[in-house]
Amino acid sequence: MSKVVEVTDRTFEQEVLRSELPTEVDFWAPWCAPCMMVSPIYDKLSEEYDNFKFCKINVDEHLEIARRYQVVSIPMQLFFVDGGKVDELLGAVPERVIRSKVEEVIQRFPTDERGRLKVILSSWIEHNKHDSDRFRKLTQRVHEIRNDAVYSALLKAASEMEQANERLSDLLSEL
Amino acid sequence: MENLVIAGSGPAGLTAAVYAARADLNPLLFEGPTPGGQLIVSHEVENYPGFEGPLSGMELMDRFRKQAERFGTRFRSSIVDHVAKGAHLFKVQVGDEIVETRALIIATGAEARRLPIPSEKKYYGKGISGCATCDGFFYRDKKVIVVGGGNTAMEDAVFLTKFASKVTIVHRREYLRAAPIEVDKARKSPKIEWMIPWVVEEVLGKDFVTGARLKNTESGDSLEVECDGIFVAIGHDPKTEAFKDVAEIDEKGFIIVQPGSTKTSTPGVFACGDVCDREYKQAVVAAGQGCMAAMEAQRYLGVRE
Repeated sequence: MSKVVEVTDRTFEQEVLRSELPTEVDFWAPWCAPCMMVSPIYDKLSEEYDNFKFCKINVDEHLEIARRYQVVSIPMQLFFVDGGKVDELLGAVPERVIRSKVEEVIQRFPTDERGRLKVILSSWIEHNKHDSDRFRKLTQRVHEIRNDAVYSALLKAASEMEQANERLSDLLSEL
Repeated sequence: MENLVIAGSGPAGLTAAVYAARADLNPLLFEGPTPGGQLIVSHEVENYPGFEGPLSGMELMDRFRKQAERFGTRFRSSIVDHVAKGAHLFKVQVGDEIVETRALIIATGAEARRLPIPSEKKYYGKGISGCATCDGFFYRDKKVIVVGGGNTAMEDAVFLTKFASKVTIVHRREYLRAAPIEVDKARKSPKIEWMIPWVVEEVLGKDFVTGARLKNTESGDSLEVECDGIFVAIGHDPKTEAFKDVAEIDEKGFIIVQPGSTKTSTPGVFACGDVCDREYKQAVVAAGQGCMAAMEAQRYLGVRE
């Protein structure tokens, strides 16, 4: 049985924006022939994924949400996570395209504890790495000014930052 | 081993399926990316004999399909990726799977051409559309352009006047390929304006289309016009990529068939409909050729057994 949830302008907020799972919304209309191709794919995928929510909205009856997200071409599928739009797919695309986009969104926005921690840690590590590279460059400039006291303090701070990042990396690999 | 594989589910493929199924060939049909073919986006089909209308392309193709189903055609919603020649058989590749068949009917049709300008990709779905029946609805009280001079362009323009405040037909040359009856309908609409002979040279906008720069193909003059949507109907290209190893293709990309027949360069491989039709590109012609292909396939299979 298809688990696709039919949403309206009124239920969109509750069903999609407040959904605990990553959610895909199929914007369709009865007079849109290519939309009819997406619909059976959607029904099938909805039966397969427990960690992903599939919704559809009939724009002929509910145009407000389409307007809000500037949908001017259908079939259009928008992907939502934590109340925000994160991706989109335009047109009557084949099953494998929809499936790989769903998998990609699940990967990028995991809902289980371990998955979420992984995403947070890796983005933190990425940030730190970027910052410490910049830090090294600034340190070099202080070195050129030849203030030894500030220079050695900066060196120490930079290496502490790198150590902190190593700890985060260890934590990530233990997860 | 299959007797007969049919690739495509427009009027040609489905008619071939009706005839082949009734002849007990037990055909297997691969629907391809657009079940029902090009017609499904047509909001009204007025010239299919036997259906005085009003009838949408979607309804018509639904009837074709039901008729083919009724006689036992097996349908698969997949796309044929490649066909290779074997010894007295053909290997049809569909995703990771290989289906072997004694005979093949190619009825994959043609797909809509896209606007040949760099910004087309950026604005596709953001103001540029290939489907007036799908997207016209979003252009209520807005200004739109229709590019093209064929039947689809005329029909799209007339259809769009239901929603848009103004529809401008942009076409590159004085000659219109469309049937006079379609041109007349467009000429009679007070909402339709004509820009001939002009082409869309560039699409203007930020996140969405806000206008277009047009170029006069004779004088070379440029002109910027405001619009919210651009509907493209500039013809179709035959879809033959998967069949290059089993059927000869002409310089325009159409599969070559023997005159008055659907036989291709390979015995056992037949082609029908828009994939080999340089001239007419009509549903009823495609259906007629689908019938021919099924009968020729039947003869071929009969001879071999």
